[in-house]
Order: sequence, then C-alpha cells, then structure tokens
Amino acid sequence: MAADEPASHEAEAGPVGRAPAIRPFLLTAGRVSGGGTAPPLPLETQVVSTPTGLSVLNSLTFEHHDIVAACRSPQSVAELAAGLRLHLNVIRVLAEDLCAAEYLAIYVPDIRATHDVSVLRRIIDGLRAVPD
Amino acid sequence: MVSVPSPTETERPPLPVKLVIAGGFGVGKTTAVASISEIRPLTTEAAITEVAAGVDDLTHTPAKTTTTVAMDFGCLTIDPTLKLYLFGTPGQERFGFMWDDLVEGALGGLVIVDTRRLDDCYAAVDYFEYKDIPFVVAINAFDGTIEHDLDEVRWALDMAEHVPLIVFDARKTGSVRDALLAVLQLALSRAEAAVTT
Repeated sequence: MAADEPASHEAEAGPVGRAPAIRPFLLTAGRVSGGGTAPPLPLETQVVSTPTGLSVLNSLTFEHHDIVAACRSPQSVAELAAGLRLHLNVIRVLAEDLCAAEYLAIYVPDIRATHDVSVLRRIIDGLRAVPD
Repeated sequence: MVSVPSPTETERPPLPVKLVIAGGFGVGKTTAVASISEIRPLTTEAAITEVAAGVDDLTHTPAKTTTTVAMDFGCLTIDPTLKLYLFGTPGQERFGFMWDDLVEGALGGLVIVDTRRLDDCYAAVDYFEYKDIPFVVAINAFDGTIEHDLDEVRWALDMAEHVPLIVFDARKTGSVRDALLAVLQLALSRAEAAVTT
C-alpha cells in the first residue's frame, strides 16, 4: 500500500506499531519544536492546506507532500501526527515550515475564545444532545 | 508567532477546545474516549519532559530528559464551528506528570479512578490542583459496583470539598457524556465567576 495514500490512514489507525526507521531529527533537519521564542503549537491547533499549497502539491516531496495532502480538510496537529504516524514534534516543526511557505494555514486556538462563557455553554448544550 | 496566510482563501476550521482525561494505567481512559468520540481513538507519540527522579538517577546527571509516550485521543464535533477534543494522558506516574504540553489551554480534566488502585490517581489530582485546572474525580465502576463508598474515597484521596466526586461507567456513552458535562459545568461556573468579579 502506498504510504502517501490518504485512504490508507483509516485502516491503519490502530495502536502505534514499530517506531519509524527514520529518526525524527532527520525529518526536521535537527530542529526541535518550541526551540524559538514561540511556545509549541497546542495539540488541538487546527491546520489546513492553502490553495497555494494544493497547487504545488505534486512538486512537494515526502512528509511535506503528505501533510499538505492530508490537510485538505482541517484537522488538529494531533490528528495529523496520528494519521501520518509521525512524532508530534516533527509535525509541529514541519507544519510551521509549511506555514512559512504559505502552503499551510495554522490556527492556534485563542485561550480567551475557548474559555469564553458563551463557548462553554455551546459545548455543554452540544454534549447534552449526545444520546445514551 | 505563527502567521496565517490570508484566512479568506482557506476553509475556516472549527474552534478546537480540549478536555484532558487522566488517571492511572489501565483505568479506562481510552475506553472513556472511545465511548464518546466520533472517531476511533487515535494514538500519537508525544514527548514528555521529565525531571529525572533521584532514585532513578544512577548517573548523577541532574537532567531533564525527554521521554516519548503514546497518548490516545478522540474528538466530538459540537457544530461546524466548534470541536471538542479529548486527550488521554499517558498513564504511568513515573512520567512525572510534566504534562504541560498536553494540558496547556485545557478547559478541564476528568481524573478516572479505579477504587482497587486508588494510589494510581494521586499524581493526577495533585497535578490539576497545582495547575488550578477545574477537574472532576470519576470512579470507574467496572462491573457496576465500587469497592469503597464515596466518602471513603474522598478521604483516601484527601480531596478538597469543592472537587466533585462521581461514579461512572467508561464503557457507556451516556455515562461518559455526563461525566464530561460535570467537568464543563465546573469550567462554566469558574468562567461566570470571573466575568462577574
């Protein structure tokens, strides 16, 4: 099964298997997330491909290609890491690279927005609607 | 700061909110996530920074080390603009509960307790208290019964009076829903109090 086939993620979404043979540092050219001034991206941070990213998709390679392809629909960095079986911190570094190249949009959740009373009420109402 | 290239060009993703499910190893965290998540729980590997404890530190290196641990999570779409994520913390206490990376920005926590192994949840209770994150302690009634009454558990865990203690079943959707609602009510009360003061 081709590694870059998005449809394969669902079938493979079981427990994590063997660690990838390629070391995380190799994928990030030795860089670590949170190494600069900005804090690491929260796990639930949403990422989505930009039209620019999708237009150059065929010219992207390896993880860059897989990330931009997977982010056609918005998802969290945690989902992305799980789906592509990459270490969370590798995703963080590569996503920020792709954002700098304007291939990926990153939406860091705003703590004030997520802790807002009206948002909390909407979550509570939405959760109450979940049937037994 | 991460820049966002022209938001109008791309599909606006939902606002993600997060709850943390904590507790000892094998206490039912992933079961609880699976009971309510709209996706099969996913696993990712996260790096946990831990301060090496003295007893383990045979090398005398006063070190912070990074350990890679598996972390299970799921999600629930509230509406197209709002998505709830549930993150299960890695279970082993020896990770030192340096969970800041996972917990940053969380609305609250659910600490799952197995009454046969009360010790396993001390660290989680301490952590949420220390971080001042609203949390509820939930006893997972594995076979519909619990081995101690609630007062005994509260005493054994040295829980503050204001921390809710509930009994739930991690296998049942409605039961997990109600446990999460208890956490969210706590978060809401706190947010409302902050608005009025």
